[in-house]
Amino acid sequence: MINRISRFSLIFVLLILLQVLVFNNIRFSGYINPYVYVMFILLLPVEIPSWLLLLISFGTGAVMDIFCGSPGMHTSATVLAGFVRPFALRVISPRDGYEPGADPSMFIYGLRWFLIYTSLIIFIHHTTLFYLEVFRFADFFRTLLRVFMSSLFSITFIILLEYIRKGK
Amino acid sequence: MRNLLNFLAKYNNLIIFLILEGISFYLLTMGNTYHNTQIVKGVRSFTNRIDEKISNARSYFQLRDINQALAYENATLKNNINLLKNKDDLLFFSVSDTNYRQQYQFTSAAVIDNSVTRQKNFFTLNKGSRQGIAVDMAVTSGDGVAGVIVGCSRNYSIAMSLLNLDFKLSARLKSNGYFGSLGWDGNQYNYAILSEIPQHVTFGIGDTVETTGYSAVFPEGIMIGTVSGFEKSGGDFYKIRVLLKTDFKKLHFVTTIGNLRKTEELELEKLFQ
Repeated sequence: MINRISRFSLIFVLLILLQVLVFNNIRFSGYINPYVYVMFILLLPVEIPSWLLLLISFGTGAVMDIFCGSPGMHTSATVLAGFVRPFALRVISPRDGYEPGADPSMFIYGLRWFLIYTSLIIFIHHTTLFYLEVFRFADFFRTLLRVFMSSLFSITFIILLEYIRKGK
Repeated sequence: MRNLLNFLAKYNNLIIFLILEGISFYLLTMGNTYHNTQIVKGVRSFTNRIDEKISNARSYFQLRDINQALAYENATLKNNINLLKNKDDLLFFSVSDTNYRQQYQFTSAAVIDNSVTRQKNFFTLNKGSRQGIAVDMAVTSGDGVAGVIVGCSRNYSIAMSLLNLDFKLSARLKSNGYFGSLGWDGNQYNYAILSEIPQHVTFGIGDTVETTGYSAVFPEGIMIGTVSGFEKSGGDFYKIRVLLKTDFKKLHFVTTIGNLRKTEELELEKLFQ
């Protein structure tokens, strides 16, 4: 248990640092802003209680907001992602259910499952985040394009990171 | 109570979610100026629309009161007009030109005594030297010649009417510019005689007769009347009957015209006589 907490803390710190130091500095035409820190929400154990998941999401988003200087924006998007996660897990649950005490990992449930899972959460998170950032419905499709492009890159990077995580 | 607890237990995730989202939205709107103004704008445009509807409805119901107020205001204004009319007052206006020095000064006045039946008619105006009237100012009514001021007290002045045998005025035919002397023959109050127009001049019935501006009293081009008939007088001149534009029986509001450069002009002319 302690081992698990310290492992997730390490993942948390690493992901936040990666996001803040690397991905926040990608300025590619204004359409591509990958947010890989959401991966932390994705990696939390399947059986984590919903209230704890929500609180952790809130904390993660708040930390991101502190680093990005955008109070509330990442927080609301991440809380929504944390709220949706149990439903997403239920919808795409494998035929014989989740193993007790397992992490939602690509290497247990397969690439296809992980891809769907990641895409769902990331897309919801990014949609919320970008529309909150613009905060109006003028340029609706421009924002939508940003959502798609950024989601694509986030998902790609998250899958790459998942490979790296297992390779270690 | 138990139901409430059950409800809370059942929906605890949703409740926590809503609370956390509420907090983040609060942070979002309070922490970011842009989001804050967007929200305020949105809310205000919504409430503005409702306010407009309400105020439309309210103004409809207030129409009766508004009508009453307008009627009252109308009555007050009418009273004021009447008051001003009765005072015969006091429209002092000057035609001033910002580019050139003003030459003529116009003052409105009312005729308070008038006659047309005598051979030497005068009328009295309700303004005098205090209001800027002086001797030898021209008097016009509408845009027709009426007379010339011959005497001023402080608040009244006497004008010699055009219907006075002593009144002589330099006048010309507008169509060709030939000028002569205009005076009243003492017969009808609405006709005057223009004499000294040479016989070779051609003109028609209805031609306009106007002032020349040679006398330094009347400005140039003020209408006197129209030609209504003519006959030859002596060998060389016409005697033209002029239908006067001014109706002296209805003379009420007149304008006096003071020539501010008259002294200058007369002094200059005196040097060469």
